[in-house]
Amino acid sequence: MKTLVKIKPKDYKVGDIVKIDFMAMHPMESGMRKDKDTGQIVPAHYINEVNFLFNDKVLTKMVTWESLSVNPVLSISLKVSGAGTLKVLAKDNKGDSVETSAAITPKG
Amino acid sequence: MERRSFLKGFGAAATCAALVPSIVNAADEAKKVAGPNEMSVESAIAAITGGKPVTPSAKVTLSAPEIAENGAVVPVKVSVESSMSANDYVKAIHVLAVKNNNSRCANVYLTPANGEATFATRIKLGATQDVLAIAEMSNGTFLSAKQNVKVTIGGCG
Repeated sequence: MKTLVKIKPKDYKVGDIVKIDFMAMHPMESGMRKDKDTGQIVPAHYINEVNFLFNDKVLTKMVTWESLSVNPVLSISLKVSGAGTLKVLAKDNKGDSVETSAAITPKG
Repeated sequence: MERRSFLKGFGAAATCAALVPSIVNAADEAKKVAGPNEMSVESAIAAITGGKPVTPSAKVTLSAPEIAENGAVVPVKVSVESSMSANDYVKAIHVLAVKNNNSRCANVYLTPANGEATFATRIKLGATQDVLAIAEMSNGTFLSAKQNVKVTIGGCG
């Protein structure tokens, strides 16, 4: 699972509200689709848990299901309270997990 | 394969299928990995609210396209009017696709540190249907908003 965290806009101050985009490369199989070549049903494979932590404090928790699109993008807001690290922990139903982090560096 | 043996095999399979439901319930965990999840919108809402009433409210804004050409990628954005202070904030935003096999899309549990109660993602819609957003407020009430999305090409399958 390849992931990416983006913070928009690039320049922000303490007290600003920024948008956090979490993107993952994931097939998000619903478990209903048939493989065209083999005729076998492709087993469900989807991200089921995403946790956002700011300076190791829980910011947002998400429980997700296969209804999200392929290569999902999840966006939330963050009120910048100071400099720190944003960590995103994502897990899928096959037990694959990945940790992505981004630095929050307010200017001024 | 001859017709006789095929029928025999089919009969055996049918008997198995009749026995399976009780086993499946016990092995729900295993099903999560292998098969499709199924949950109707009624039971999904009941699981979220625990039987409390859900009131449609203008405080919840759900933006989704009215006509989605491709059901596989439907952008959905939910924002809830709230001060997001420690005493008054949005606890959670739930996004449901009413007619999907598993109507749950995402449950998002927010904290006051978010500053704004917004959530955006892209979902799959199997057919033309309503998209429902339920916001759980810190005072225990549930507010909702919904929008119909016409899908010209289904996204599941």
